[in-house]
Amino acid sequence: MKLIPCPDLGPRPRNEFDYGGEVRRPPLDADDKCWAEYVYNRSGQPGVLREWWYHRPTGNWYVFERDTQRDEFLISIPLKEVQYALPSDETTA
Amino acid sequence: YQRGVEIHQKTAVTAIVEKDGRVTGVQTNRGFIQCNKVVSMVAGSTPRITSMLGLQTPIEIFPLQACVSEPVKPFLDTIIVSGSLHVYVSQSSRGELVMGASVDPSVLHSTRSSFDFVEELADKMLDLFPFTGRLRVMRQWAGMSDITPDFAPIMGKTPVEGFYLDAGWGTWGFKATPVSGKTMADTVVNDRNHELIEPFRFDRFREFDLVGERGAASVGH
Repeated sequence: MKLIPCPDLGPRPRNEFDYGGEVRRPPLDADDKCWAEYVYNRSGQPGVLREWWYHRPTGNWYVFERDTQRDEFLISIPLKEVQYALPSDETTA
Repeated sequence: YQRGVEIHQKTAVTAIVEKDGRVTGVQTNRGFIQCNKVVSMVAGSTPRITSMLGLQTPIEIFPLQACVSEPVKPFLDTIIVSGSLHVYVSQSSRGELVMGASVDPSVLHSTRSSFDFVEELADKMLDLFPFTGRLRVMRQWAGMSDITPDFAPIMGKTPVEGFYLDAGWGTWGFKATPVSGKTMADTVVNDRNHELIEPFRFDRFREFDLVGERGAASVGH
């Protein structure tokens, strides 16, 4: 049974989580070519990846950095660090 | 050494050398190979190779696990695939049940298999065949599947001149090896994509022209 070190709850079984994929930031002001690359391309090679993980029992999202070759969870990242402003946020501010 | 082919075992590619946007050779752990055409068809190891050229691709690597039970007397002469349970089972000529489900839920560059897989698979198998409840799992393993967003392969020329890809087949493609070998050979010799593999070109993602591959196995469509 693999465990994920949840920063709020301590180690939890991995199957309580859904994988949300790589953390990425969209190029909000970009042409079609940039958007196509953002939509489809990924950091496919092995290494440390910053990823979204959804904890189903609590409904919370977490961000972890994981070694995708050794399957080791390294650190958890506070959500503040991956937030970004949307253009609509700026115009209504 | 027939038909001009050499096979070099235990020779790892460490770098692909390019100059002015075209391939000039391959660096290995046993020396340098000068060449102007390189074909990469290494499935689960593809991102390691494309990153040597700084090539971005949509490919992500997920383990696909399978397992085999102890041998039992023959009772199954067909392969059963359940779309709703998302499990497949067949019986080998040695009497073992060969079973598998879908790709692992998260990216991993490893051929390790897990208890989570066997536990979930057993749950589905018991739904399908309750009488297998006392069968023992003898062995489990995994392969690294190179998955693309439309589950179709990436074949042919790439933005780097002289570098060709035949990858992204993911969880399927074994039966397609004869025709993919033929079309890739034609592509490499003539330095333009064979018409049969045009739909699988590298540029289709940038052009938002995906394939929607219904032939892919062990993935949700």
